[in-house]
Amino acid sequence: MLRSPAPTLYPMLSNFFSYIVQGTAITIGVTLVALPFGLLLGLLMALVHTYGGKIPNRLAAIYSLLLRGVPPIVLLFILYFILSGKVINLTPFWAGSLSLGIVSSAYQMEILRGALLAVGGGQMTAARAIGMSRLQAIQTIVLPQALRLAIPPWSNEASIVLKDSSLVYALGVPEILRRAQQLSATTQQPFLAYGIAALIYFVLVFATNRALDYLSERTKLPTHP
Amino acid sequence: MKRIVVLVSLLVVASILLSACGGSTAANHLEAIKEAGVIKVGTSADYPPFESVDENGNKVGFDVDLMTEIAKRLGVELEWVDMPFDSLIAAVQEGKIDASISAFNYSEERDQTIDFSDAYYTSEDAFTVAEGFAGTITNPEDVAAYKIGVQTGTTQDSWLTDTLVATGKLPEENLFRYDRVDQAMLDLQNGRIEVMMSDFVPAQALVEELGGLTIVYNGVLSSGPMNIVIPNGDAELQQAINDILKQLQEEGFIDELAVKYFAE
Repeated sequence: MLRSPAPTLYPMLSNFFSYIVQGTAITIGVTLVALPFGLLLGLLMALVHTYGGKIPNRLAAIYSLLLRGVPPIVLLFILYFILSGKVINLTPFWAGSLSLGIVSSAYQMEILRGALLAVGGGQMTAARAIGMSRLQAIQTIVLPQALRLAIPPWSNEASIVLKDSSLVYALGVPEILRRAQQLSATTQQPFLAYGIAALIYFVLVFATNRALDYLSERTKLPTHP
Repeated sequence: MKRIVVLVSLLVVASILLSACGGSTAANHLEAIKEAGVIKVGTSADYPPFESVDENGNKVGFDVDLMTEIAKRLGVELEWVDMPFDSLIAAVQEGKIDASISAFNYSEERDQTIDFSDAYYTSEDAFTVAEGFAGTITNPEDVAAYKIGVQTGTTQDSWLTDTLVATGKLPEENLFRYDRVDQAMLDLQNGRIEVMMSDFVPAQALVEELGGLTIVYNGVLSSGPMNIVIPNGDAELQQAINDILKQLQEEGFIDELAVKYFAE
């Protein structure tokens, strides 16, 4: 009789599986908000850092330093209480997703900055020599190349954001990990519960990386190896 | 005549302004909750039998049923907000949720930043033995001399493990962990174990139901009184919840819940 599993465990598990899978939609939702938001913000900061004047350059560097120097969960809490406070009042989902996007923007900024630098200063000089404005040169010459170069390292950041989306559960957004915890508490089967969660994360990250590899391959320039 | 017109129009304007103000700012938190028609209550749904999710993801448990009844009597809808236990107090402080019920034990440290309702349940522990038990238990730690049963993962389990097994007083092989308290009570009847440690209320119910058993000790050992967490200084909400808790206690609602959730 000792520690015998409840006889109803297995039908219960199949229901639980669907409960965790519902959390997957939230995980994907959080990532789909955080990643593009971080990309936009990161791209802006990378351009400011690379082509902005002396002071904007400094400010962008400080932005990156601060955001990358603090653990994401700490930033998430601070940003959450700003974004979901008395003045701006977003739901936990939006506040959590946007906060995660802000955290990610600093890392994406560094990825894009590296890509912008990799294009090389010579191209900018050449573009200016044939009469393009700086903005035109960035838009039509540097950025199209830099964005392509950024895809492989960016896919790394994409999988990190996907996995970091589990942090929003601290704000009360019931995504995969939170649901796995509940499943673990109810069934007393932690290995199974977290196993399901791990499997779902793995599939998501795998699919994301393969899709980005494909994108990278499809958009490759003939001039690049 | 002109004066009267001015006076009347002033009154009209004033009354419009006043009613506009009255519509948006409630006198206090309790009024605001009633006006919104919904109370947001935080819980960490990973602590059965107090709060957990069932196979369909619905919240179930002692605290869940209790809070549902409280919201009903406040005349408002109940909206659950699930959070990790550690985030709950911060969320009450920041006003993200109106209150929190999650098997909180009162502590002076916690009382500094938030307020507590009256205790809604004091989980007393009980030692149950079969009738004709020859030993004596005057001191809780005396149970270390016997074969003792407990429900896996409960506060009693932790108490026995921490205070008796870890200190070497109770040999590990004399601690028998069961999935359900009623299974353990049957083994107690059959003499496979000599003492059963469980929550007092369900123990009482089982002793009455099964027969041949008796409770030799009850007292607060493993957990203590449980309270609902409410925002600091929120006297109106505190009073309203306390009044309802008192009614529920008098009606026996809480004891029924204890039997429902802690007896199996």
